Amino acid sequence: MLKIKDNQDAWQSGMAKNITFIVTKDCQLACKYCYLVGKNVKERMSFDVAKTFIDYVLDHETDPDFAYESVVWDFIGGEPFLEIGLIDKICDYIKTELFRRNHHWFNSYRFSFSTNGINYHEKAVQDFIKKNRNHISIGITIDGTEKKHDLNRVYKITEKGSYKDVVKNIPLWLEQFPGGGTKVTISSADIPYIKESVLHLYSLGIHEVNINVVFEDVWQEGDDLRFEEQLMQLADSIIDGGFYQDYACSFFSEHIGKPMDPKHDNQNWCGAGKMLSVDAAGNLYPCTRFAQYSLRDKEAWIIGNIKDGIDKNRLRPFLTLDRTTQSPQKCIECEVASGCAWCQGENFDAAQTHTVFERATAICKMHKARVRANNYYWNKLYRKLELEDLREQYEANKREVKPEIC
Amino acid sequence: MLQYLVILLDDTSVAYCHADNPLKKRNLIPVETLKKGIIFGMKQNLMIQYVFPDYELPKEYVDVLESIDNIKIYPINHKSHVLIEEDNVSDVEVADFIPEKVESKNLVLRLKFSEILAKKDEISKLFGNDFRLNICITDVEKFTDKDIIKYQELLKYWNAILLNLYKESKTPQINILTDRMLLDKMHNCDAGVNNITLAPNGKFYLCPAFYYDEKTTVFNQLNHHKPSSDNSVGDLENGLNIPNPELLKLDHAPLCRNCDAYQCRRCIWLNRKLTWDNNTPSHQQCIMSHIERNASRDLLNKIREIGEFMPEIDIKEISYLDPFDVRKEF
Repeated sequence: MLKIKDNQDAWQSGMAKNITFIVTKDCQLACKYCYLVGKNVKERMSFDVAKTFIDYVLDHETDPDFAYESVVWDFIGGEPFLEIGLIDKICDYIKTELFRRNHHWFNSYRFSFSTNGINYHEKAVQDFIKKNRNHISIGITIDGTEKKHDLNRVYKITEKGSYKDVVKNIPLWLEQFPGGGTKVTISSADIPYIKESVLHLYSLGIHEVNINVVFEDVWQEGDDLRFEEQLMQLADSIIDGGFYQDYACSFFSEHIGKPMDPKHDNQNWCGAGKMLSVDAAGNLYPCTRFAQYSLRDKEAWIIGNIKDGIDKNRLRPFLTLDRTTQSPQKCIECEVASGCAWCQGENFDAAQTHTVFERATAICKMHKARVRANNYYWNKLYRKLELEDLREQYEANKREVKPEIC
Repeated sequence: MLQYLVILLDDTSVAYCHADNPLKKRNLIPVETLKKGIIFGMKQNLMIQYVFPDYELPKEYVDVLESIDNIKIYPINHKSHVLIEEDNVSDVEVADFIPEKVESKNLVLRLKFSEILAKKDEISKLFGNDFRLNICITDVEKFTDKDIIKYQELLKYWNAILLNLYKESKTPQINILTDRMLLDKMHNCDAGVNNITLAPNGKFYLCPAFYYDEKTTVFNQLNHHKPSSDNSVGDLENGLNIPNPELLKLDHAPLCRNCDAYQCRRCIWLNRKLTWDNNTPSHQQCIMSHIERNASRDLLNKIREIGEFMPEIDIKEISYLDPFDVRKEF
């Protein structure tokens, strides 16, 4: 079976321009926590739109907005693999043009996918993976146990759970992407299943579980305490079961829960504005979260289109954003501020006015609960390692999960 | 802190800033609304600025208008409609052409950039007079990088004229060239922060331009939640209700709080129109303000060759015109 080469040369971590094709707004699933409120079967990208967009991007190689060493061509939906034929054509065109133009991204690009995994095994998808094996990364979303997964990730119309159709493709995916991580989303109803879900994902062979609570204001009274309890149980299981050596869960990080300096720790969390997204209509966005199908209460923040290019004035608010300017005083003064994330799109959608400078704080209690459980985790783990005289060895080899910063 | 209440006496009240007034149909503020507005201003300790249309108001308005100390903003050549106090130095005449005669101590001259270039000599004849000249460019959004040199050369040309006036011991006041020489901190429009506008419908707006937009449903896509043309920030019955008021202030403007183009208007209406954010200036606004700032620096240095002038003011040499380009250095 094919092993996907981990080609680090083609991926200049942290110095890559992220360019996203919203190839379709359709998906087989209707996940209950999905922020894409405007999914539909009509808005499918044409190759002509994609081609014009690629030409625009590559024509601007020297523009500061595109002066990155590397590029990640990201394909999202809906479910991107519903459009695997189009994606294959787009990727062929990108490769051909990078070569023809002798573009500096020619050997420094990656095609990236986040998929629900349902048609991962199909021939067209597998052929595409083989064809692009040195330049591809794929994440399959599986939420945990069958019960937890099927609580939210259900087929549209039938509302049948999708777990069985996804889990059957996990072995193939892990064989091709041995370091593959999955992304788990936690909403209020999912809290009781966190521990068993993470352990279940470990048992499937997934070593990296990136997990986050939804940014939307969905939290109920007492959720923070239930969340804290689940995370402490998870901490016990990871430590007592020895999983901490080879597995990672992004909930636990030594870098979270510290106060932040308003001057020196003032960067924005989110990459909106540095990224670029295009939809089927050829409209450009600072991030997909600003496209209309992602927004509940606001009109789309369109920064241009593939014919006229980017209106740079409309990018200026994003590129001047910093942490303290958009944060309320309670966040600036927070004793456990580090690691508390936000989504610029959700901030915009939830804001009182048309602004990206109003930080939504719906996850405040959940972050604090996470910090308490996180402190418990590290205190317990380090005490155990010290008693076993293994701390130095652990420090030298520990696996870290970088926070998901989009 | 709010200091001024601008009262639009009619939908057709004269436009006195960047935004043109597209409203052509007369709609006089009801006298009861006017009275309530004045009472509001008195209770909030605000100086009232009336903005007049180009026709004479009914007689019953006169006593109401003069029931409180005020500043009058009115279209030039319509002084007779306004009952000007002869010694009032704060009243403002507004012209969208170069007037032959100015009767107040303040003139707002509203012209397109191309008109200013074409009429630079006529405009310069206004410099040596006994009034302050506020030049207001009404098509900032059309300014391109190709216009930079034109604007720099224009201000250089005017600087030479101003220098001669200083040599004659005159003290001309031209907003875009002399204000920065006198300022040691930001002095901007501050709509929604130090002034608020009452429209004839009895509602408050950040500035008149937001009222015009509401009436013409511009920015329909940019309103708070679901599309709506309501730009108001309160009314006389319920008081002011400015959402996210801190996001109008200088300390919440990452570009502007580090900037020293202190004379810049920081027009939030233009910000919103061009960048879609109230507190983020456009490339055009930044470029134009920095051309003015640099020209002020040149003028200041030339004046100092004549003799001591504003020794406490220091305008540093800078290498950029748009602070956005050096934002990582802040």
